[in-house]
Amino acid sequence: MRVPDRMWGVWSVWLRYFSVFSKSLPYYAVTTFLEPLLYLLSFGLGLGSLVGDVETSGISLSYRSFIFSGILAQTLLFQGFFEGAFGAFVRMYYQRIFQAIAITPITLSEVLWGELLWDASKASVAAEVVALIGVVAGEFHPTCLVILPPLFFVSSLLFSAMGLASAAFARSIEELSYPQYLLVFPMFLFCGVFYPLEALPRGLQYLAWALPLTSVLSLIRTLTLNLPLQLHAIPLLALWLVALLYLSRRLMMRRLVR
Amino acid sequence: MTQASPGGDRAALEVVHLSKQYRSRKAEAFEAVSDISFEVHAGECLGLLGPNGAGKSTTIQCLSGFFPTSKGKVSIKGFDVHTQPKEARAHLGVCSQEDTLDTDFSVVDQLIQHAIYFRIPRRIAHERAEKLLERFGLRDKRSQAIESLSGGLKRRLQVARALISEPSVLILDEPTTGLDPDVRRMLWDVLKEARQSGVAILLSTHYMEEAERVCDRVAVMSRGRILDIDSPEALIARHISKEMVEEEVRPGVFWKRPPNLEDVYLKVTGSHLGVAGL
Repeated sequence: MRVPDRMWGVWSVWLRYFSVFSKSLPYYAVTTFLEPLLYLLSFGLGLGSLVGDVETSGISLSYRSFIFSGILAQTLLFQGFFEGAFGAFVRMYYQRIFQAIAITPITLSEVLWGELLWDASKASVAAEVVALIGVVAGEFHPTCLVILPPLFFVSSLLFSAMGLASAAFARSIEELSYPQYLLVFPMFLFCGVFYPLEALPRGLQYLAWALPLTSVLSLIRTLTLNLPLQLHAIPLLALWLVALLYLSRRLMMRRLVR
Repeated sequence: MTQASPGGDRAALEVVHLSKQYRSRKAEAFEAVSDISFEVHAGECLGLLGPNGAGKSTTIQCLSGFFPTSKGKVSIKGFDVHTQPKEARAHLGVCSQEDTLDTDFSVVDQLIQHAIYFRIPRRIAHERAEKLLERFGLRDKRSQAIESLSGGLKRRLQVARALISEPSVLILDEPTTGLDPDVRRMLWDVLKEARQSGVAILLSTHYMEEAERVCDRVAVMSRGRILDIDSPEALIARHISKEMVEEEVRPGVFWKRPPNLEDVYLKVTGSHLGVAGL
């Protein structure tokens, strides 16, 4: 099948990343899939056996199910953000790959779309592996493997854009620690990965809802655990996605093109 | 990807009244390139000669379409690099001043991957890559990682990569800076072959000897402007009236020699101290 000319630029950039990924599969298998597996083992089997059941949105469910769905969202956050931030910073600043490709018939705009779509693809696959483990472990229904990927992709695109915006803003790779510690880790700890949001004081709950991981988690738990749909999660997620896609591309363009 | 040029017999590279200003919130706008115009025809090599900061690299960034121009127009084979970037760049090969080799690929894969960006079929890319590796003396390095190459080998590979798409216009930004004389000569030979096969070459350099030897015409640049443009012989004849110039090379030691492009450069930029009679 021949890819149309207008899609070739983004597709060939995506293929470049896939080619590098497939050549170093053992390395990427460890860095992409091992981390969520460790979280699953530690919190799902370890802590899960101690906590028993939790109650959220008026429904009681096992902590293991709760944490499995939390680790899905955490995988999207970490894989998307870190690839978009650290990975893209190395490619842009040290390897100058963006600049090298953007003087071929592929434009810088296409390079950035290729980067974002690859980062999102990689994070989505990692989350799908976690979902598969959840199905095998009996925590999720097998249909989850079909209905979750679109949400995985949209969510990881959002976190990749957050990472790329950070990479565009950082003057050195060390400066990426700011969004990592001020944004990513607080989301990881306070958006409901490990405990229901209801456990937090009301003020903190509002703050958590202002962060995108909460919306992602809410939708994931609706699809995996049949929790009631919190409708406002959808526009919040869409808003974050559009804003971060716009911001990341604009900041990176401004950094590279003078 | 390759389309028929709308330009017919036009120059392969046309630059018309190009200006480039860098704007910043913290500092005043700085004009790095001021109203320059030139053409490069098929089979011709034009040199951009000037010191660091003359505006050569900014000019090249605008020609490749990576930086937008503030004023003026750049076309490659008749395609505007800013309104028709894909069509224009399909005819363009660029070797930038910085090392932009993709360290995720080996030497041969580097060339093939670059060809893919031009939508060149993989089989043809392989054939071209093998020929280029042979021509650039890189055949025995074909499977090596980029990090293992010396500076000279990396430079060779970067020029080879610029040629993988068989461009009509080749832009090289100081390609021989820091290279050994033998590698430099090899690159000069490659440029001669490319020129003979009809490639239009724009070569930025601050080596006078290189400009005089390789370029059909030379544009002398200083502070973002082209001060004069012509063949090296014509520039020398126009600006240096004497048959011999005298220069103090060491305290008390004077050399007399025929004038060269360096004398022209020093004279037109007004920095001719030390060379008598310019």
